[in-house]
Amino acid sequence: MRLETELQSCRVAELQWREGGSAQRLLRRFLRAVRQVVGAPDYERYLEHHTACHAGRAPLSPREYYADFVRWRFGGGGPTRCC
Amino acid sequence: MLALKMRRYLSPILWIAIAALGAAAFAVLALTRGENVSAVWILAAGVASYVIAYRFYARFLALRVFALDDHRATPAERFNNGRDFVPTNKWVLFGHHFAAIAGAGPLIGPMLAAQFGFLPGTLWLIAGVVVGGAVQDFTILFASMRRDGKSLGQMAKEEINSVAGMAAMIAILAIMIILLAVLALVVVNALKASPWGLFIIACTIPIALLMGWWMRNIRPGRVLEASAIGIALLLAALVAGRWVSLDPVWSRWFTWSGTGLSWAMIVYGFFASVLPVWLLLSPRDYLSTFLKIGTVLTLAVAIVLTLPPIRMPALTQFVDGTGPVFAGKVFPFAFITIACGAISGFHALVASGTTPKMVTRESETRLLGYGGMLMESFVGLMAVIAAATLEPGVYFAMNVPAGTIGPTAESAARVIGQWGFTLHPGQMEALARQMGEATLLSRTGGAPSLAVGMASILGRVVKGSGLALWYHFAIMFEALFILTTVDAGTRVGRFMLQELGGHVWRPFGQVSWYPSILISSALIVAGWGYFLYQGVVDPLGGINSLWPLFGIANQLLAAVALCVGTTILIKMGKQRYAWTTVVPLVWLVIVTLTAGWQKVFAAEPRLGFLSHARLVAQGAGNPNAARLIFNDRLDAALALIFMAVVVVVIAASAREWWLVLSKRKAPAVNEAPFVETAYATGD
Repeated sequence: MRLETELQSCRVAELQWREGGSAQRLLRRFLRAVRQVVGAPDYERYLEHHTACHAGRAPLSPREYYADFVRWRFGGGGPTRCC
Repeated sequence: MLALKMRRYLSPILWIAIAALGAAAFAVLALTRGENVSAVWILAAGVASYVIAYRFYARFLALRVFALDDHRATPAERFNNGRDFVPTNKWVLFGHHFAAIAGAGPLIGPMLAAQFGFLPGTLWLIAGVVVGGAVQDFTILFASMRRDGKSLGQMAKEEINSVAGMAAMIAILAIMIILLAVLALVVVNALKASPWGLFIIACTIPIALLMGWWMRNIRPGRVLEASAIGIALLLAALVAGRWVSLDPVWSRWFTWSGTGLSWAMIVYGFFASVLPVWLLLSPRDYLSTFLKIGTVLTLAVAIVLTLPPIRMPALTQFVDGTGPVFAGKVFPFAFITIACGAISGFHALVASGTTPKMVTRESETRLLGYGGMLMESFVGLMAVIAAATLEPGVYFAMNVPAGTIGPTAESAARVIGQWGFTLHPGQMEALARQMGEATLLSRTGGAPSLAVGMASILGRVVKGSGLALWYHFAIMFEALFILTTVDAGTRVGRFMLQELGGHVWRPFGQVSWYPSILISSALIVAGWGYFLYQGVVDPLGGINSLWPLFGIANQLLAAVALCVGTTILIKMGKQRYAWTTVVPLVWLVIVTLTAGWQKVFAAEPRLGFLSHARLVAQGAGNPNAARLIFNDRLDAALALIFMAVVVVVIAASAREWWLVLSKRKAPAVNEAPFVETAYATGD
């Protein structure tokens, strides 16, 4: 429920995809992309957004974040899955 | 300077070459008779058409019709909240969008339509997507993106009127029921008397529970980790299934009848709708998404590597409507049967769902909407190839119900021989043994024959890997993502019902009130479960009547989406280009109303529901007569409701078009206001 109050517009100045880097960074970028493709939660990404946009407040713990994410994504019956 | 000049000449030459290749491929497919054609021609015809359509037609739609503007901030940028509104890399979003639109439909439809030969399916998958399906997806994605990600139902209500909005809601609920029933029937037919297949699918339930528990309690939110464990366990179950099928005691435990399986599905669907989402629904969704993307890519690579020869004729005699897989002539039933791979109304729900909220720049909708649908059509072509690599005799022995070809390999060989295809009685037994199944006769629904086709293609790539393993891998892949659709669909239906019920009695609308959850879940499960059960006990296999109903429903939803699209174009002052959506709309309306009318009123009992009911009523001594007659009338009523819904939506839209075009009404667009983007734009 706490996350609901954070749902307000926030421009994140830079797209994450602009940054280049080492092999480890590349792997992290790849895993982040995979998470987005399958619609999986991404705590790291949430923290980035939280730091950029709601720096004043304490972020959710991984467990709280996951519970909130699942409620949001699958709460209405899940993403539309086609035939 | 020189390079620029070179490019100016090279580009037209390249496009002319691609066009010539495509034309040559179509010529080979259409003109070769009686000899084996390579699948490479199907691929070449498809890919050349897709590339040309994407380069020219999609570009025309993007620049002229929609006038996509990269200076305009998208909803993802304006509302960026780190969750549903997130600017996303276009290739990542392409994957996400494709995973949401791809399903069993584009695989099963072309497989069933192969009774007409491979040519009608190939042509319609290619032509339909270029002119119809991809335009629909692109238009709705664009419209929803300009409206902050509004859903199709909301847009129908706002752009046309509330009657159209209500009609769209009812259509979606009714289509959901039929969709779930027909998909569940495909799974039941695939797992019936197949201990190996059933064992794997039964294993997915404890695997999903383990994943759910892992992601919630052990390592919160670690979906990739849990999915890796889940996939490893799934593959272990796939291998262990062989042992189960060979063991006399275990195999008896996992050999179920169709009716037993359908009850199991009904009970399972109910629990999936009632249990917390983290426990069952979300882990299965991730598991099936990974499996879906992985298998589609593997199959594409395998087809390109092996280029299997086509054994199916281009056209069969069944184009005249005497087909044994499903009744009806090639027009309109090839179009109804193929449905999803060429144009799918369901995509309008996805294109107005999560995708529009994640687009970074407007111009990227061309890749997502138009390009995503081209990819879906390509999956359909892979199903055509899988079907066409089967011997026609084998194809018919697997896909024709026992009511037509009889219970034994001998009777099947006799009937199929009369149709002019060769089938040796021993052939089916040998094939069944190869695939690790008890029998492959009359395994209707398309999934088993798709699995045989996929197994023979994948088995060619990995030599000596065992066809039985690939066959059950394919069955697992299809059944898993169909069951995910059944889980999610039941839940979505439950929410819709609770919302509708809330208008009648307020407490019912509280989505987390347990009595309401139980009642609405039971009602939805009963709805699709009824059609499923009747399909299973139907002597003609059920697919016969349910798949066309599903196709009609799906295509009518597409017609609703195109009505919304046309209305929006006219209100944008783009009536000059309204033909882009009107042409496919007119075609869909002709096809679906003709098909609907024939399914209800055709004089031939094999085709028309009502004449079949009359035939049953005349025949004496059938103990199931009352039930069969009731079901025929129910199916007829459903088809009529679908047709009525689309007529209502078209009438409401046409009125709106006339009001705007005759200047009786100001063309107000409900777009979100223009906001300049803060991102760098290309130019």
